[in-house]
Amino acid sequence: MDYGFAEQIGFRALTVLTLLPTVGALVMLLFMRKRESAFKATALVFSLITLGLALFMWTKFNNGTAAFQFEENFLWIESWGINYHVGVDGISMLLILLTSFLSVIAILGSWNYVKDRQLAFFCSLLVLETGMIGVFAAMDLFLFYLFWEVQLIPMYFLIGIWGGPRRIYAAIKFFLYTFAGSVLMLIAIISIVWWYSTNAGITTFDIQALTQAGFPSTVALWAFLGFFIAFAIKVPMFPVHTWLPDAHVEAPTAGSVILAGVLLKMGVYGMIRFCIGFFPEVAVQAAPVVMILSVIAIIYGACMSLIQTDMKKLVAYSSVSHMGFITAGLFAFNLQGIEGAVIQMVNHGILTGALFQMVGFFYERTHTRLIKDYGGMAQPLPIAAAFFSLFVLGSLGLPGLNGFVGEFLILVGIFQYAIVFAVLASVGVILGAAYLLWMYQRTMFQELKNKKWLSLKDLNSRELVTLIPLAAMVLWIGLYPSPFLNMLHEPAARIVAQVAPYMADQGGSLFHLASTLFGGF
Amino acid sequence: MEWPDITPILPEIILAGAALLLLLVEPFLKKDKTAVIAIALTGILASGLVALALFSESRMGFANMIVLNSYAVFFKVLFAIAAGMAILMSPRYLEASKRHLGEYYALILFALIGMNVMAAARDFIAFYMGLELMAVSSYLLAGFFRYNLRSNEAALKYFVTGVFASTLTLFGISLVYGLSGSTNYMEIGQSLLTSQSSTAVAFATALVIAGLGFKVSAAPFHMWTPDVYQGAPTPVAAWFSVGPKAAGFAGIVAIFSTVFAASAPTWSMIFIVLAILTMFVGNSLALVQTNMKRMLAYSSIAHVGYLLAALAALGRGAENLAGSAILLYLAAYTFMNLGAFGILTYLKTQQPESFDYSLKAFAGLGRRSPWAAALFTLFLFSLTGIPGTAGFIGKFYLFSAVVSADMAWLAVVGVLFSAVSAYYYLRLVVYMYFREPEVEFGITEPIEGVMVATLALSAIGVLFIGILPSWLWDVVTKAFSGFYG
Repeated sequence: MDYGFAEQIGFRALTVLTLLPTVGALVMLLFMRKRESAFKATALVFSLITLGLALFMWTKFNNGTAAFQFEENFLWIESWGINYHVGVDGISMLLILLTSFLSVIAILGSWNYVKDRQLAFFCSLLVLETGMIGVFAAMDLFLFYLFWEVQLIPMYFLIGIWGGPRRIYAAIKFFLYTFAGSVLMLIAIISIVWWYSTNAGITTFDIQALTQAGFPSTVALWAFLGFFIAFAIKVPMFPVHTWLPDAHVEAPTAGSVILAGVLLKMGVYGMIRFCIGFFPEVAVQAAPVVMILSVIAIIYGACMSLIQTDMKKLVAYSSVSHMGFITAGLFAFNLQGIEGAVIQMVNHGILTGALFQMVGFFYERTHTRLIKDYGGMAQPLPIAAAFFSLFVLGSLGLPGLNGFVGEFLILVGIFQYAIVFAVLASVGVILGAAYLLWMYQRTMFQELKNKKWLSLKDLNSRELVTLIPLAAMVLWIGLYPSPFLNMLHEPAARIVAQVAPYMADQGGSLFHLASTLFGGF
Repeated sequence: MEWPDITPILPEIILAGAALLLLLVEPFLKKDKTAVIAIALTGILASGLVALALFSESRMGFANMIVLNSYAVFFKVLFAIAAGMAILMSPRYLEASKRHLGEYYALILFALIGMNVMAAARDFIAFYMGLELMAVSSYLLAGFFRYNLRSNEAALKYFVTGVFASTLTLFGISLVYGLSGSTNYMEIGQSLLTSQSSTAVAFATALVIAGLGFKVSAAPFHMWTPDVYQGAPTPVAAWFSVGPKAAGFAGIVAIFSTVFAASAPTWSMIFIVLAILTMFVGNSLALVQTNMKRMLAYSSIAHVGYLLAALAALGRGAENLAGSAILLYLAAYTFMNLGAFGILTYLKTQQPESFDYSLKAFAGLGRRSPWAAALFTLFLFSLTGIPGTAGFIGKFYLFSAVVSADMAWLAVVGVLFSAVSAYYYLRLVVYMYFREPEVEFGITEPIEGVMVATLALSAIGVLFIGILPSWLWDVVTKAFSGFYG
């Protein structure tokens, strides 16, 4: 059956979805440069319409297939076989939902956070949303690369203009790390397209066609490396994670929410689509390495979180740890691991987004993020403390909340792959509980350290409107994850089927990897 | 007596006529140079249109010395665009610098004629004439501010090194003549196919590469570039960074794929080495510049490095792809670099006294003149190679050609260097948007109409090529296929 946009929804929904935020930005730039409340409202309305459209598409989405849906395809650069080709499967649909959801949250959450150049701030957020949706919707490598790079720019400005004291360093570091990775990906893209065009006779950048190409091992290995480095930087995996704490600490709250919530997921998404999709054999061979790096990230990130004195940095390092779970689950190559990884991407997006948002709300009140300045905050801010506890508990994986669902599935997946990794990853879960609860205890409980905090106002209605949807999602996915997991069964089964032929002979895969890599010399 | 067929040089005749008319008219004008500029622009426009009308023609003229084909026409039109834009950004700048003379425009036209001849030449004598006409006009243009020390330095350095380079080229040509007994590209190519003395051929190849390497500022022949760009009037530097460079590449591609076709493996090796060296020198020295004119000079060297990588691919079996990619890159580079220099020119005309091209002078530009900052950001992103801009499309095709010649490693080296370049381009963005102005700025004058036109044209070019590259790609493939046809 064909899942073109015409049959499924009747209009070019994905294109509209991708472009809507940018249209909003243009409307703001052209018509309401001076009127602050008007352009803020416009930004919110456009992000809400985008979310609404994404939800509407979700209702039309067919869970029973791994095929790409809402497909649109037309020629862009004919001589090179480059198409404007978009479409979504369960994984990308879920991530698009997450993106449009978190964009609304980010816009609401930074209503009064930025004082300077507000118009540019909200425009950047909207353009960023277009870039992110585009990355998840693209089904043409060229188009993917376009969106992948384009979303760098608004993020760079978000960190660089509205960030903290070391924002310039952080912004440049963020940009250079990602850019260095993505140019390697560019060469990998060119190489596989070139190989395909000489061997299959067709020059195409179509992701589906290239997925079925079956690249020979040398091409596959080098191209895998190119893609993998780019995505590992984005995730970020140990040892290329060092840009993340800087970027997070300096970024404005909305930037952190989007960065942790969506941008990191683009790395994992890329691994699913390209590293595994194009080169299943190499992916299976490389899995032990990825597992080891992931486990290091889990434990290292957790240990780093334990010693942080800055709440935002703590959450940032916890991201390194949690993203380690996700990559580990993914490279376990079984249904539980993959589904767990994808659902955990959503959970991590919601929880870490919420945690950053909370830290931002605290910071707006106290103008400090140091844990030692807090203590006993539950007394002046009971509602905030309640929400904070929900997100902290979700993040450490309390059953009944969303973090548990993903972590559990991932651990089951890793367990089937190799028990030793599952054991090590479990240590990360324990450490996660430790640093999160310890932070909560030092900030919210204990004696009220600073008497002047007594006069602080609790969450206002706008802030509540920002947090309630996040809290609702935490509970929804925690108690009834089926609507989300159902979207993932087919795509996950497709991935498992793809790698299945290579899973049999794992023995000596590292040796094999090394001999392919250096056999040419 | 039969008249020669003058169609192949019709655009150049028009340009020469315009230049001479301009020199005749100039003494009768007082301060207002509008008429001179109008003549120059009309001449350029007419020559470009005539060239365009001849796009599908393909024939030789003047005893096989000059060719009329889509390859030559492509370059003629590209040069015309570059020259037109350089002229458009000049008048206000020259007035602000209190040295506005009509000869300036005539010199640009003469240089343009030389470049056209370089692209259309199929004979070393014609090529050398074009090269010298371009070079001599360029020396004069570099030293146009003759009361300015740096401008004098620029002219002198450019002259001395340029003459030396021309001599090297000439020596190489004479060796080739000695080996083959001809100055015609095709005839030499035929005779070198069967030639036995490979040492002499290699020596001649090296000499020609060295000579033309000076013109396109490939490392290690690049030393003059930053000084000349810094000293020359900014619109002239803009023109140097695109025009003569493109002409140099037009000549190199033509010469190396005909004359030295037999020794392709040798010269492609040389170009690989030069490419890596040039990318390294350009990018690493651009990192430490604080004067933005010098930074753009080193950045232009870096871009030459990417082009040289494609030249290496040209000699390694990827002729059509590499040739077309080089043409496309030159077109993309013309728009983005002219745009970037255009912004510098604009800022200098606004503050002739205080603006010193230093990095600090850009602090807070995003607030002061949002449009200039936004456009500059666009050009810088394009130079970095961000998708959606011409610079990315250029790099994409260029490195595709390199990969297709089985040199993925060289492409990796190239993109890693371009990742380095992101640092120095983005540093300007950092100053413009992330920092507050360090000095008080006077009242800024309203932007002038022709300057707007130049910048808008560059920006449209950058975005058009970036978003809808098919059209230009078709043009360059046609243009390059015309080269052999």
